[in-house]
Amino acid sequence: MKNIVLVSASPKINEQSVSKEFLEMAGNQINSDLYSKTLIDVRKSFLTHNLAEDFETLAQADVMIISFPLYYFCLPGMLTRFLVDYQNYYTAPGNIKKHVKVYAIVNCGFPEPEINLEAVRVIKSFSQHINAEFRFGVLIGGGPMMVAAKEAPFMKKAVQKLNSAFTSITADIQDEISTTMDSIYIGVNFPFSRHLYYFMGGRGWITMARKNGLKIKELYKKPYRINE
Amino acid sequence: MKALLISDQEYLTNTYQELNDLTGKFFKQKGYEIEMIELKGENVTFCMGCFGCWIKKPGECIINDGMSQINRRVMNSDVVIYLSSIIFGQFSPTIKNVIDRGLPNMLPFFEKRPDGSTMHPPRYDTYPSQIIIGYGDDISNEDKQLFIDVTKKHRRSIEVLIYQEPFENTIQALNSIELGRVGGLL
Repeated sequence: MKNIVLVSASPKINEQSVSKEFLEMAGNQINSDLYSKTLIDVRKSFLTHNLAEDFETLAQADVMIISFPLYYFCLPGMLTRFLVDYQNYYTAPGNIKKHVKVYAIVNCGFPEPEINLEAVRVIKSFSQHINAEFRFGVLIGGGPMMVAAKEAPFMKKAVQKLNSAFTSITADIQDEISTTMDSIYIGVNFPFSRHLYYFMGGRGWITMARKNGLKIKELYKKPYRINE
Repeated sequence: MKALLISDQEYLTNTYQELNDLTGKFFKQKGYEIEMIELKGENVTFCMGCFGCWIKKPGECIINDGMSQINRRVMNSDVVIYLSSIIFGQFSPTIKNVIDRGLPNMLPFFEKRPDGSTMHPPRYDTYPSQIIIGYGDDISNEDKQLFIDVTKKHRRSIEVLIYQEPFENTIQALNSIELGRVGGLL
């Protein structure tokens, strides 16, 4: 039975993780009778000092699906550390190397899925450094909104596209012969203007700040350059 | 004029030493006062995506480690140079932590850039000019190009160089960069 390891790499704590939600959607499409599925939560791995055990699990993987949010146009620092340490572990002499297929699911808050491309390229580079086969990425724009409004009628098309992308991963895992696959880009089809999306996003931040007892003008504080 | 040199002590290769010396000398000759931050992994933890720097204590990271001090020094420099080992075509984990945790220096809102893409607006009127210099031994051309694209395709007002022999090339590249404080549009 092939081992599939789902790597959830949102650094958030005590909050719903959009990356994990997408990963679970992808994982649910994979038949448990045919594949063994294991989830690694990178944040928990660091918190509980469980890295050695998780690296061991990862080293047994035939397939890795890595899901994470975009941080400053690339991987979160936490995931970067995890992959560097894993590479050191995996490439150490004595470890048995397997043929591994790697997939990336990257989401960002910006509506444009293309912004995630360089992060996918980094996962490709990581794959090359551990002699794994990078297959393709699923690049998601407006990820948090997609999860928050997934039941809304205007989100139907995007959710369908997500499911179809995750079906493509499942099919590709099964394929013995690798054909070239392009990455898949999924954005939100807004029933409203982009300007309104920006406005709603802004209102969201203001509402959260107010709940924390802040006034609107305090959001614009300049603590390090008071004279500006 | 102040130049802040941020480096990662996890990757102290010969190349790093040459680059560090060269960069320090270059800015000294230009009349800059040099400040160094030599980071170790344990100095700066990773960004946890809590957005406390936007909605709890705007402009400041709420994680209690050395990063608040680093952000203050960054914001009050004229030039900031990051020396990063090139890892999978990206930054080293510690340098990436510093970059991620620069988020307090931006505002949470969205705005449209001239090319139509979405971005967060700057918190401050001016920022130091920033230069990221990537280094490493046996880096593939693909990883070098990715290191450039990761930043240049998404951010304005920031320069990226790959350090390579002969060092005159790097000096020439540094000479062609406009230094001093700049606007903060990403």
